[in-house]
Amino acid sequence: MPQSRNVLNFAAAVALIAVPLIVTGQGGGDAKGPVVKAASSKVPRASDGKPDLTGVWQGGSSRIGTWEEANAGGGTNATSGQVTPFAVRGAQEKAPYQPWAAQKVLDSFNRRGIDDPMARCLSPGVPRTTTMGLFPMQILQTPKTIVMLFEVFHVFRVIQIDAPHPDDLEASFMGDSVGHWEGDTLVVDVTGFNDKTWLAGTGTFHSDKLHVVEKFTRMDENTIAYEVTMEDPVVLTKPWVQRSTIMLRPGTRLREYECVENNTDLDRYEKLLQDESVFRRK
Amino acid sequence: MMLTRWGRTLYHSGMTNARKLPFASAFLLLAASVPAFAHHSFGAEYDANKPITLTGVVTKVEWTNPHSFFYLDVKDASGKVSNWKLEGFPPNVLYRTGWKKDVTIKQGDEITVTGWHARDGADWGHSREVTFKDGKKLFFGPPAGTGDGGNTPSVAVPAK
Repeated sequence: MPQSRNVLNFAAAVALIAVPLIVTGQGGGDAKGPVVKAASSKVPRASDGKPDLTGVWQGGSSRIGTWEEANAGGGTNATSGQVTPFAVRGAQEKAPYQPWAAQKVLDSFNRRGIDDPMARCLSPGVPRTTTMGLFPMQILQTPKTIVMLFEVFHVFRVIQIDAPHPDDLEASFMGDSVGHWEGDTLVVDVTGFNDKTWLAGTGTFHSDKLHVVEKFTRMDENTIAYEVTMEDPVVLTKPWVQRSTIMLRPGTRLREYECVENNTDLDRYEKLLQDESVFRRK
Repeated sequence: MMLTRWGRTLYHSGMTNARKLPFASAFLLLAASVPAFAHHSFGAEYDANKPITLTGVVTKVEWTNPHSFFYLDVKDASGKVSNWKLEGFPPNVLYRTGWKKDVTIKQGDEITVTGWHARDGADWGHSREVTFKDGKKLFFGPPAGTGDGGNTPSVAVPAK
């Protein structure tokens, strides 16, 4: 017993030192506690010595393994009334919206997200695209450019390293991303957004003044610690920080997701919206 | 309602309880984290309080984005047959959850599906788990509650 306790204490100490981003209950842990351990395997490195983020990944997850392993048994059947989603993101602070804006977020929640831009097959924006758990993402890395490809909606991000934002930016769904390395952490600055996406949960709208800073830290073979700070003086009272993990999914390949092919939801929404009491909360 | 530090300055009620119950608060926060898995709202179209279990014969499969569908002829107690439409994952997700187009589910197959009924009461459902004749089970759709905000909003609820 003492020996195992020592091992646990040591592991805890290492975790505290080596995993500053992953805080119990705040990071990528699920209901069973944080899954991320201290770096137990070597962090893969690129030829320039930087951590190599290359690979196919799943955001919004904390489970280790192939896609199939990590997502197996993602729930129970309908009649049990229990819900175990594919993966559970870590606990997050409430979104610090200004009162008028919080009311708008709440209204979307009460309307059960029927106004979700994604239902219209629009790009999910940043950070929502990254933290989405259902579809994989692929990262390709060179010393000067890091490319992120997302299965969802064929979205991509091209992140130039040590480069300024272009001075002729036009407002866009995914914004413009530039990056730099701070030690072993890739820091990505994203600006140039429109106001047509949601940040994270239902109704989390923003203005075109949104500014996002992301930190990607590869902790070990399987794990990227992801910390995102969202600033928007028009709707938020202070920067909104969320932390989660992005997990390596060996053997997974990106497939196609052509959203507009057979999107029947909009027609059904149109009918439902004729009488919101049918679906509105309370 | 659980309030966070910033929430204290905006909305006052509830803070005392949150302070007294750090563990409960942490649990609430965990429970509140809603995965972003859906392309659209479950709750707007389907009622999580109306689970359904249907057994019938597959009449058609739409292997399409952003959602796949299959249609099921279901006989009720009086012998009347209704053709139900069941919604589920897109093809890319189905591939990764063990399905193969034109192999796993085909016209004429007899299956049982659990899911939830459409709010408008039509013969339409959100599918979850399909059980095949040989007893094999696979998920055709996500759990209830995806994409509709779950149980807890992203913002604190102001005191009334």
